Order: sequence, then C-alpha cells, then structure tokens
Amino acid sequence: MEKQFPNEREWILDILIEVDKNQGFVNQLVKQTLDKNQFIDKQKRNFVKRVAQGTVERQIYLDYVIEQFSKVKVKKMKPLIRAAIRMGAYQLLCMDGVPSSAACNESVTLVKKRGMKGLSGFVNGVLRNIARNKDNISFPEEQKEPLQFLSIQYSMPQWIVTKWVALYGYEMTKTMLEAFLKEAPLSVRVNETKITKDELVAALKKQDINVENGAYCSNAIKISGYNYLGKIKEWKEGYFQVQDESSMLVCQIADIKPDNIIIDVCAAPGGKATHAAQLLNQTGMVYARDLTEQKVELMKENLTRLGLTNMQITCQDALVLDEEMLEKADVVIADLPCSGLGVIGKKSDIKYNMTEEKQKELVKLQRDILSVVCKYVKKGGTLIYSTCTINPEENEENFRWLLENKDVKFEAVDISSYLPKELQEETTKQGYLQLLPGKHSCDGFFMSRLRRKN
Amino acid sequence: MAIRNIRVEEDEILRKKCKEVKEVTERTRTLIDDMLDTMYEAEGVGLAAPQVGILKRIVVIDVGEGPYVLINPRITKVEGEQVGDEGCLSLPGKVAVVPRPYKVTCVAYDEDMEEYEIEAEDLFARAICHELDHLEGILYIDKATEPVRMVTEE
Repeated sequence: MEKQFPNEREWILDILIEVDKNQGFVNQLVKQTLDKNQFIDKQKRNFVKRVAQGTVERQIYLDYVIEQFSKVKVKKMKPLIRAAIRMGAYQLLCMDGVPSSAACNESVTLVKKRGMKGLSGFVNGVLRNIARNKDNISFPEEQKEPLQFLSIQYSMPQWIVTKWVALYGYEMTKTMLEAFLKEAPLSVRVNETKITKDELVAALKKQDINVENGAYCSNAIKISGYNYLGKIKEWKEGYFQVQDESSMLVCQIADIKPDNIIIDVCAAPGGKATHAAQLLNQTGMVYARDLTEQKVELMKENLTRLGLTNMQITCQDALVLDEEMLEKADVVIADLPCSGLGVIGKKSDIKYNMTEEKQKELVKLQRDILSVVCKYVKKGGTLIYSTCTINPEENEENFRWLLENKDVKFEAVDISSYLPKELQEETTKQGYLQLLPGKHSCDGFFMSRLRRKN
Repeated sequence: MAIRNIRVEEDEILRKKCKEVKEVTERTRTLIDDMLDTMYEAEGVGLAAPQVGILKRIVVIDVGEGPYVLINPRITKVEGEQVGDEGCLSLPGKVAVVPRPYKVTCVAYDEDMEEYEIEAEDLFARAICHELDHLEGILYIDKATEPVRMVTEE
C-alpha cells in the first residue's frame, strides 16, 4: 500500500485550500472530514477542528504577521503554500500545546509531499522566522490607529469594524469582536415532548459532558466537553436539538397557542419550526418550507429524530406566492436569508465573503420575500421577522418598512413581557430586539413581532 | 538484497489467488528480504508477494512501527470503520476513498513459521486489509466508494 494516507494535518491543509477556493464553508468541510473519520480519537478530532477553524477565524491577523516575514504577499502565494504557512502560523501564534518545531516541520513536510519541494525552504524560512520573533511583532497601536488595531487584532474586515464603531461605539464593538473569538459552549433545546430537562441534564452529566443552564430560555442548556455530537445517544434519540438561544426566543415572543397554524417560510435546518411544533404540543400544524431539496432533507432528518407529528415539510420558494395559504396562518415566521454577521463566532468565513454590496442585495431580497409571505398572516395574526445579522438596514429598517406597508397593514407588538428581564429594553416595547454578542450571552440576532390589522 | 519489479496496472498476476506457504525455504527468505527492500525503496507502507510476481500468501507491512512479515495471514476480528484515501504501489498516481474496519485482529506466521497475533488500528489496520486483499486478487479500486482520482501535483 502506498504511503499517502492523510494525517490530520493533511486534512486541515485540504480543508483550508477548499475554503480558499471558495468551495465550501470551513465548518461544513471540517464536519464532512470528521464524519468520514469517526473513529479517530478525541484529541485528533479537536486538533483538526481547532486548527482548521482557528486558521480561518484569525486569517487577517495571521496574514498581517506572515507579511512581516515574507517577501511575497500572502495573496500572491500559491494556494497550497498559503494554506501551509497560515496553518503553521496559527499553531505558532495561537496555540500553546504545539511545539514550534512540529508546527514548522509538519507544514514543510506537507508542502514536499504535495510535490512542491522547491518551495519547502521558503515555507520553512517564514515559519521559523515567526517562531523566533513571535514575541516582538509590531502591531498597529490601539491609541493611534484604533480601527486598524481592531481589524487586525480580531481579524475583522475593516469595513465591518468601521460600520460597527459608528453604530455602537468603540468599546461595544471591541466587546463584540472579543465575544466572536471566544469559544462558546453549544446551546441546545430540550425536546420536552420526549424528556424533561432534569432527566436530560442528568443523563448527559453521567457521560462526563459539561452542562450549564441557558441564559434566557427555560428549556435551553449549554453543553461542552463531548467528543462527537452524532454519537451522543440522547441526540440520536431526539431528546434535544442544537439551537442558539437567540433563535429559541423567536418562538417565545411569537406567543404560540394550542391549535395555531404556523408557517415558517425559510425554515431549514428547522430549529424554530420544530420548537414551534413542540410548543403546540401535538395540536395545530407547522408548515416548514425551504428553497432546496437538500435543506428539506436536513429538516426531515431533524423532524424524524425529534419525533414530532404536527409538522409538514415542503420544498418551496418563499418568493412564490402560495395562494392556498392566504390569510391562513396564526403565526408566520420569516427568519430570512441575511448577511449573517451575528453568527461570525460560529461561521467565521462569513466575515470575509460579505460586502456592503451583497448586504444591499439582501435587503431587497428580504423585502421581496416579506411582501409575499406577509399575506399568509390572518387578520389579527402574528408576523415574526428575524435575522441572524447585525445590520440596521436588514433589521430595524425592514421592520419599519413593514409597518409602513400600504397593502397589508401591520402594527408593532410589545414583546417585553415574553422576554426575561435582562433583555427588556426600550425597543422591545416598540416590537423588536437586536441581540449583540458579548453584550448578550448568545449570537448576534434580530427579532421583531407585528400584528396584522386588516 | 534486491529490488524487484513491482507489477502494475493490468498485469494479470495481480488478479490471481495466492497459494499457502507450506515451509519457509532459503528462497522464501530471500523473497521476504527483497519484498521489504522493494517496499522501502518505493516508500510504501505495505507490499504483497503477487505485486512482485509471486503467487504466495506473504505480506510485508511497515507503517512506521517497524517491519512486520505476515505469512498465511487471516483476519479473525474486525471492529468499527474508517473511511479514507488509499493508494497502491501497483496503481501509481491513483487514489480513492475506501472504507475499512478501524480495528482488525490478524493471525499470521512469521519467518520461522511461528504463529502470532496482531491487533492493529487506524493505518496499520487499513494496510493489513489492503495487503490481504492482494492475496485474493482484489485491488482497492474494487472496494472504492467514490471514483478513483489521479493524484495531482500542483
């Protein structure tokens, strides 16, 4: 047999090259790789995850350091070399447990193995230089160049930093950027139709999984220290669903009542829709829809696992009016495609791919979808508009646009009473809430509630 | 000490079943030594006798833990699964995804025809499965779950 069985550093290299070519998101690629190799031990699994995701997450910072030691600009390097140097630099600069020699040598070996012997000396030189000088690298000073400082220190494109500092101030922006880089435990929702929260917590603790209470929702818990989620028996049995607390709040503010008809127009992977079905407690019906068969499949898997019966999943484009649903829904959940800047902590590639231009296009798409799906709301029924982004144009401005809608008329609903005390603020009385990571213990998220008047 | 020719591609000998080894003669010992040399020279982690044109149930493996010689080997237990790339010295430049057990227990004879047992995991387990298949005329491409890829050198 040939000696080409990839080791874990080679998997990381391949993942980074794919991400670089824009052929996938780092989290998905890590998951695919680890799913294929379920039997590797916990340590290797965590290493692959940490280095692949960390290298993407800290890319601006790493490139800044690399360019101080390389004559070639990072952007001009061959993709293989770029990936090998970035992952080596990440291990040198951001991880304590990896010896410098290993971080350098492994990247050099990978480059040779992939047939670029001639450039292995270059990779070796750059990485060894970084290793030797890592304690005296000069960075932009916070006092003199605050925006550059934030951008490089927290690897956030400067246009986003500039925009947020203008909106939320310097300190708040810094808090948010810090929160994105912090590793957060996984937030999950207890499927109370199958198990009580106390029983689930006890069962997970028995397997040495760390369990904490959620910050805002009574049926939320946060778990960490597990090896492979798909192997936890309680997950396979559908006793819980992975969902951020911010997203759980959506069904909470929707005030779902027994027998309600609910439409979730962009539902995949189905967190909110299954939550709604759970709250209906075997009554009513949730119509969960999304654009592609792949997304529909994903939802079906989750539904089967959770064992809920009051939910129908179909593949349907939210832009196309479904005449049968006109004025049928007690609640329409419109959690729409957005720029995703609130979940950068989990999906770090988003920050490099998003642009102000794309955000403008998204605002248009959101409005196009809203003007279709708002017609499904009954008179007196509820429209929930939410996104997982931090961008007033997509959030507050779309909410106001809905209130000014001429065709179907809406009014804002005070959502304060559905929220825990620490989330109640001036805007919640006006019908909306913008969650900010660091300020709140969850993803960045926007939610709003409106009532149909006519 | 000699490097033997590795049979490649469509060579029919790769598709034949191998015969049990009854006794280890001088010629067998030379064959084993040559197989090890050939494997190391080709930077492989395993080699089966048919790959150098001999239809005998002999395999050599070294995944970095030192050389193992397996005569008349048989797998007695398999556990778990691993899915990953595999390549073969007889199919140069190609690679494909092959699912294999994560752990195997294998009983074989050494060069003195003493029976011994190996418990192997991960790459070692994969190599055992791969080489033992050669003794049956099976190549990894027969078991690949995804199309065979050419190894690209960027």
